[in-house]
Amino acid sequence: MRAQICQKCLAPSKLLLRRAPTTTTSPFAHQAFPATTARRTFLTGFRKTTVEKDGQVRPPLSSELASPSDHSLYKHAEGTRVLLKPNNLFHPMDKSPSPSMRERAANIKRTAYCPHPHHRTANSPTHIRFTCPDCGIPAYCSEEHWAEDYQNHMLICDALREANEDDHDLRSGRFFPEFEYPGEQMDEALVNFTNWDTLLYTREFRAINDERSLRQVTKLLTYPITVASFVHELSPYDIRHRLTVEGLKSVSALRYTLHPPRTGAGKDIKGIRVTPPPVRLFILGARSESSLPREVWHQLTHMFPLSTFHLVFIGPQSMMNRDAELPLPDRTPANPFGAVVERVSHNMKISTFVEYYHTLHDTGTFKPYDPYFDMFVLFHPGLGHPGSAAEWESTLPRLLDTKCAILCTGFTEEDMSRDVNWVHDKCKGEFDVLLEPGENRFRSLRWDINE
Amino acid sequence: MHPTRKLFVLPRSTYYEPDQRQGASLIRARKPFLIKNVITGLVMFGITASIYVYTIRAVSQDEFEDVKVPEAPGRGVSKEVGGK
Repeated sequence: MRAQICQKCLAPSKLLLRRAPTTTTSPFAHQAFPATTARRTFLTGFRKTTVEKDGQVRPPLSSELASPSDHSLYKHAEGTRVLLKPNNLFHPMDKSPSPSMRERAANIKRTAYCPHPHHRTANSPTHIRFTCPDCGIPAYCSEEHWAEDYQNHMLICDALREANEDDHDLRSGRFFPEFEYPGEQMDEALVNFTNWDTLLYTREFRAINDERSLRQVTKLLTYPITVASFVHELSPYDIRHRLTVEGLKSVSALRYTLHPPRTGAGKDIKGIRVTPPPVRLFILGARSESSLPREVWHQLTHMFPLSTFHLVFIGPQSMMNRDAELPLPDRTPANPFGAVVERVSHNMKISTFVEYYHTLHDTGTFKPYDPYFDMFVLFHPGLGHPGSAAEWESTLPRLLDTKCAILCTGFTEEDMSRDVNWVHDKCKGEFDVLLEPGENRFRSLRWDINE
Repeated sequence: MHPTRKLFVLPRSTYYEPDQRQGASLIRARKPFLIKNVITGLVMFGITASIYVYTIRAVSQDEFEDVKVPEAPGRGVSKEVGGK
C-alpha cells in the first residue's frame, strides 16, 4: 500500500514558531530532477530517447516527458498529477499554487500585527501586509518596517523559509516513502534511543537519506516516540542523564508493566495466562495529536511487544480535524461522556473525550489510578502561557492527587521554563521532579508556523 | 504482449546504495559510535599483532656469530692417523 499523506492531518497543527537563537540550518540542496525516465513498454525495450538536430541521441529532458507524473518517483496510486517538483518548493505564501497556503497567508494578514517596535511606542497596531521576499511569509506591514527590523527578522528568516518549503513539500503530491512505517520486530530486538537516526535504524524503518523527509516524518513520530523514550527500559534518560531518584522509582513501576517477564502463554488451553490490564496513557489537552494517523500511535505497541495500551485523549479540542467521526456518540449510561472508542488493534485502544480533565476526574470515570499502569502526558500544554494557564489551574492539583507520573513537553526552551516556573509557583512542595527540564532527544526536527 | 517475469531478488537493505556504498542515513546512525569503535578495533588489532610479534621473536633462532665452528671431522681423523 502506497503511503499517502492525509490532507487533514497537515491542516494547521498549531505549533508555535518562536524566535530561537540562530539555528544553523544549512540551505537544503535540492537533488536535481533526474532527466532520465525508467518507463519501459514492449515497444521501447530501451530507454526513451530523442534525436537531436545533429543526430546525437540523448535521454529526454524532464520537460519533454509526457507529464511530470511519468517519473517513477512521482507516480501516484490514483494517477493524480504532482503539484510541485523538488526544485520548485519555495513560494511566497500569498502567491502559492496551493489554495490552503493562500488561505493561511490571508489568515495571517487578517489577524496578526506587525512586530516593528514603532507600533508599540506609537500604540498603533497595524495588520501585516508585506511578505518577506527571502522566506515568503507575511511578516511586516510595509517594506520600510521590514528593512528596519531586518536584524531581528534574520534570526528566524532561515527557519521560516525552511518551514515554508516543508509545507509546500507536503502539498506537492509526491510519493512519501518515509510515511511507510515498519511493523513488529522480534521480541529480542533492541531499540537504540540515542538519537533519531539510531532509533529509525534499529526499528527497521526504511532509510531516510533526505533531510526534508526526515523532518516530515519526525514531526509525526515525535508524539509516540517521546513517550516511549521516557518509559522504555533502554531510555536515554537515566540517573546520570537528567533522571532523578523519584523519576527512577516512577519509571521503574511503569517498566514493570511494560516489560513483563515471560509467562509461557500460548495459543491453546494450556497457554492461558492471566493478562494484566492495559497501560493507560492519558493525553491531556489533546489537539493535533488526537488526529494523528493511527499507524503512528501503533508504533508504540511495536516497541513494547509484551504489553497492551489504552490511549485516552482528553480535552475540549480533542476532536480537532476529525470531522469525519463527528457527531459524537450519544451519552448513554454505558458511555456517559459520549466518548469515541477505537480499537486500533488487539493491543491498542484509543478513546477520545471532549471534556476538561477536571470534570472527568471529579466523576471518578478513570478510578482507580495505579502508578504501575497509568501515566499522564501533556504535549505542549502551555501551562504558563497567559492564554491557557487558567484552564490548567483546576486540573493540575487533581493530576497530582492521582500519584501517577506526568510528562510535559513544550515548544521551545522558554516555553518549557515558563511552564516549569508556573508549576513551581502553583504546586510548591506537592510534587517531585522526575526528569530535569532539558531538550527532548526525540523532538520534531521541523519548524511549523502558528497562525 | 509478453510480460517480463521478475526473477527472485534478494531482499536488499535500504540503508545501502545500489552499488553497496553506505547510505547517508546509515552513516548518520553510526556517527555516535564511529570513533569509539575505530579505537576499539585498533586496540584489538594492536593486541593481536603484539602477541604475534612477541611469539615470533621468542621462537626465532639465536645469533651464533660469536661461536667458533670447529673444522669438518674428516680432515681431523686423517691427520691423527698420519701422525701415529
